[in-house]
Amino acid sequence: MILSAEQISKRYFRKSGEANHFYAVKPLSMTLNPGTVTVLCGRSGSGKTTLLHMLSGLLTPTEGKVRLGETDLYSLPDRELSKLRNASIGVVPQARSVLDTLTVRENILLASSLYGTEDRREEAQRWMETLHIDGLADSRAAELSGGELRRTAIARTLCLHPPVILADEPTGDLDDENTQLVSGCFRKAAEEGAAVLIVTHESDALNIADAAFRMDGGQLSALT
Amino acid sequence: MKQFSPGAAAALLLSCVIAVGSVSFLGPCVHVDGSFGSCHWAGQAMLGIGLLLVILSVAGLLVKDGRVRAGILFAAAAAAVLGIFVPGTLINLCGMATMRCRAVMRPAMMLLCALTALSCLLSGIAAYRKAGSKT
Amino acid sequence: MKRGSLAIKNLLRKPGRTAALVILTALLALSVFGGSVVVGSLRQGLNSLESRLGADIIVVPSSAQSKASFQNMLLQGTIGAFYMDGENLDRVREVEGVETAAPQVFLASLKADCCSVKIQVIGFDPETDFFVRPWIEQSHTRELGDLDVVVGCKVEAEVGEILRIYDERCKVVGRLAPTGTGLDTAVYCNLSTMKTLLAAAEEKGVSHKVSSDESDDQISAIYVKVKDGYDIDQVNSKIQGHTRKCSAVRTKSMLTDVSDSLSAISGTVATLIGAVWLLALVILVVAFVMIANERKREFAVLRLLGTSRSMLGGMVLKESALCSLAGGILGVLTASMLVFPFTTLIETSLGLPYLRPSAGTILGLALASLAATVLVGSLASSWASFRLSRVDPGTVLREGN
Repeated sequence: MILSAEQISKRYFRKSGEANHFYAVKPLSMTLNPGTVTVLCGRSGSGKTTLLHMLSGLLTPTEGKVRLGETDLYSLPDRELSKLRNASIGVVPQARSVLDTLTVRENILLASSLYGTEDRREEAQRWMETLHIDGLADSRAAELSGGELRRTAIARTLCLHPPVILADEPTGDLDDENTQLVSGCFRKAAEEGAAVLIVTHESDALNIADAAFRMDGGQLSALT
Repeated sequence: MKQFSPGAAAALLLSCVIAVGSVSFLGPCVHVDGSFGSCHWAGQAMLGIGLLLVILSVAGLLVKDGRVRAGILFAAAAAAVLGIFVPGTLINLCGMATMRCRAVMRPAMMLLCALTALSCLLSGIAAYRKAGSKT
Repeated sequence: MKRGSLAIKNLLRKPGRTAALVILTALLALSVFGGSVVVGSLRQGLNSLESRLGADIIVVPSSAQSKASFQNMLLQGTIGAFYMDGENLDRVREVEGVETAAPQVFLASLKADCCSVKIQVIGFDPETDFFVRPWIEQSHTRELGDLDVVVGCKVEAEVGEILRIYDERCKVVGRLAPTGTGLDTAVYCNLSTMKTLLAAAEEKGVSHKVSSDESDDQISAIYVKVKDGYDIDQVNSKIQGHTRKCSAVRTKSMLTDVSDSLSAISGTVATLIGAVWLLALVILVVAFVMIANERKREFAVLRLLGTSRSMLGGMVLKESALCSLAGGILGVLTASMLVFPFTTLIETSLGLPYLRPSAGTILGLALASLAATVLVGSLASSWASFRLSRVDPGTVLREGN
């Protein structure tokens, strides 16, 4: 499934300063094709996360459209959009996103349990083993390290096999070995047909990328 | 490592109320002529049961072994059940429902003993299961 | 894991937070259920007194102490022993408009072996009485013989037992149904038995205001029923004028006094309940808002995973409803443990007729209290629920970095 952005931008109004508004993301278009890994680099504050949130259906663009296939995401009512995002757009946020009241296994199964989809326990077990967190299956978030939390969030996303995967700094907390492991998982997901976007500072991610972009001051440019 | 038992702690608190209350604010009738009715002896019996429950509850809090702790708490539960039947059933009380022994002591002691028994029973079961799961 | 169980897991795995909410809602249920049972019992007691009294006018000795003593005897079961000349009975019967006049004689025992305190003995005339007799006939149909007594429900003596009053062996032949009034603590006998008891008291050296020789001429109260078509106030005045050293009291005014006291207590209870609910509601709203702030990240993650706003709001409402239900059940149970076993203590403390409502009424009150608690608890979380459903996951998760 193709995720495409058509001249989307995000403008915020500010109460003070020279101009009364600024562009967090300047008008841009981009397409994420199935079976590809796209990497987006840029300094902190360049608008990468804002762009990712708009692509994932979480932040309405000031202008432009985001389409998943033929569907304009932001024309859908909240209920339908939420269900679509659950099924089709997997997001690995940069911030900690594991729920404290659930165990690792329960966190991984959380997304699939929201709309009563099929039993994914075996799939969850497989991903826990792949990401070396199967020994922590019944542990709570408070007992996990930063890297283990990150891998839990990644397992949660990959468990559903969404056609689109948007990951914001997925290897930020990980050592080299786990970074390789996670990068390999995203590459494999792409080979299985997903459209993968990785937002990262790390240049290693370019090794698995089919396309690469840079974000600077809200402006998107292709990396050659 | 000692595991704190909230049930035993609750039982200790309730037992103290039984023991202290039975000779004070929850006690039997006070006769102006200084004589003792049978309700006085019911109050004394409740004092004895209360003290026994205090000792058993303290033991239940301090003992480390789960099975031994469970046994102590079950014994305390049985003592508390006995306490339910002391005022009015095992030992007679005064003949008017409005008198202090019937209006205050009996319902208070029955309620406190029932709560103590329940608390001891539940924490005894929890201690027994926990001990069982460790073996 | 089912979606619905997420709310339950959230509650169980944060026991401190859940316990605090449960306790707050338990206070709501405890206050409203406990308060309504007490007020309901007072109303039931007043209805019982009203239906039990039967008489339109009660004639008692004219001293203020006697009138107060009689009222206290009815309401609180305090011992009353006052007397007037027996010829007043004939004088009352002569008054135009009087249908029936039935005498009663009161006696305070020094000690009965059932009790270490005095008990009230009430002698009545089985032939003319319309106050005690219908009540006695509900539990004992035979005529009361000599030294036969019927006891009120609060006297702990079974049928067949012997009660020693002034060393006279009186046989208990019946126990009366509860009235919720002071009459429940009395022992009832016919006038012949009363004469015997008075003589026995005299032998014990306990002086009364009557002697056994004159007991027929000394009575404590006269219950009067007025004929249909006669104005009760007028008959009351006539009785007042025709008797000596007596006061004629309209039972309606006595009941009005009780009713006024009941209204005052009801008002106080209602005010207390209102204060508790207002305070608890404010605390609950603040607690839910604070909890919502604490859980913003959690809800942002749920939004991220595809939970819709309505699902999020529903989850918060479900959690608050479950807490409120648990608290409601705890509150109703706690109130039951305080109000029902200590019925007698509450009754004697209030000094008013107090009769527990029927089991059906109590169940209805419990369910209503539970429903009100769940409703209010859920409403208290509605603002927090609205705010959480509108959480912007992008902003919240970015702040969490």
